[in-house]
Amino acid sequence: MLFQIIILSLFLFSLGLYGLLTRRSSVGLFIAVELMLNSGIINFIAFNRYLAPTQVDGQVMGIFAMALAAAEVLVGMAILVMLFRLRKNVDVVGMNTLKH
Amino acid sequence: MNPAWSQNLFYFLAGTMAIMGLFSMVTKHILRSAIYLMVVLFLSAGVYLMLDAEFLAGAQVLVYVGGIIVLLVFAVMLTQSSALIEDHPTIKRKLLGALGAGSFFAVSVYLIMQSPLVNDPVVTAETASIATLGKTLVDSGPTGYVLPFEVISILLLGVLIGGSVIARKEK
Repeated sequence: MLFQIIILSLFLFSLGLYGLLTRRSSVGLFIAVELMLNSGIINFIAFNRYLAPTQVDGQVMGIFAMALAAAEVLVGMAILVMLFRLRKNVDVVGMNTLKH
Repeated sequence: MNPAWSQNLFYFLAGTMAIMGLFSMVTKHILRSAIYLMVVLFLSAGVYLMLDAEFLAGAQVLVYVGGIIVLLVFAVMLTQSSALIEDHPTIKRKLLGALGAGSFFAVSVYLIMQSPLVNDPVVTAETASIATLGKTLVDSGPTGYVLPFEVISILLLGVLIGGSVIARKEK
C-alpha cells in the first residue's frame, strides 16, 4: 500500500511541476505549488503510518507544512492584488518592476 | 475495515485525484483550475483518514478547502482580467513542460522501484492517537515540537499583519 501511495503523490507532484512549467498567470502558479505541497504532505503521513506508526513526527511535519502553505498563499495573494492594482494584469513575465 | 474494501476505496480515491489534478493543470480557466484543485485536496483528506491521521484530515478540510481555495477564488475574482481567466500556453511550452515533468516522474518511479519500498512494510494495527499528536506538538522535551510550533504561530501573526498592510488601499 505504501508503494501505491508514493506513486500517487509522485504523480500529483509531477502534475504540479507541469503546471509550474506551463502556466503564466500567477494564480495558476500558486495552484500548481499548492498541488506539490499537498503531495508532500501525503508522503509525510504515509511514511509516518507505515514506518513509525506509534510516533507522530510525520503528522507534525504535515501540520507545519499546511500552516506554511496557508501563510504563503496569504502573502502571495496580497502581493498579487497589489500588483494587479498597479499594472492591471497578473502575468508573471511582466513582473520585473524590481529589476528596473 | 475489510482490507480488500479499503484497497478498492484507495484506488477510487487515487484515480479521481489523478484525473482531477490533471484537469486542474491543463484547463484554461483559472477559476475551474481552483475548483478542480479543491476536489483533489478534499479527496486527500480521505487518504489521510485511511492512513489513520484524523486530525490532519480535519485540518486539511478546514485550512486547504475552507481557507486557501476560498482565498484563491477571491483573488481570481478581485483581479478580474482576460489575462488571468484564460491561460493559453504555447505548444512549445506545453511540450517542454510535459517533457520535464514526465522525465521527472519516470526517473523517480525508476528510483523507487530500486528501493526496498516496493516490498510493503509490515502494517501494525496500533497507531498513535490524536492525544499523542497534541502532546508531541507542545512538548518541550527532546522529542517535542514546541519551539517550531511557537515559531509558526509568530510567522502566522506576521503574515496576517503583513498581508493586510500590503493589500490595503493607499491613500
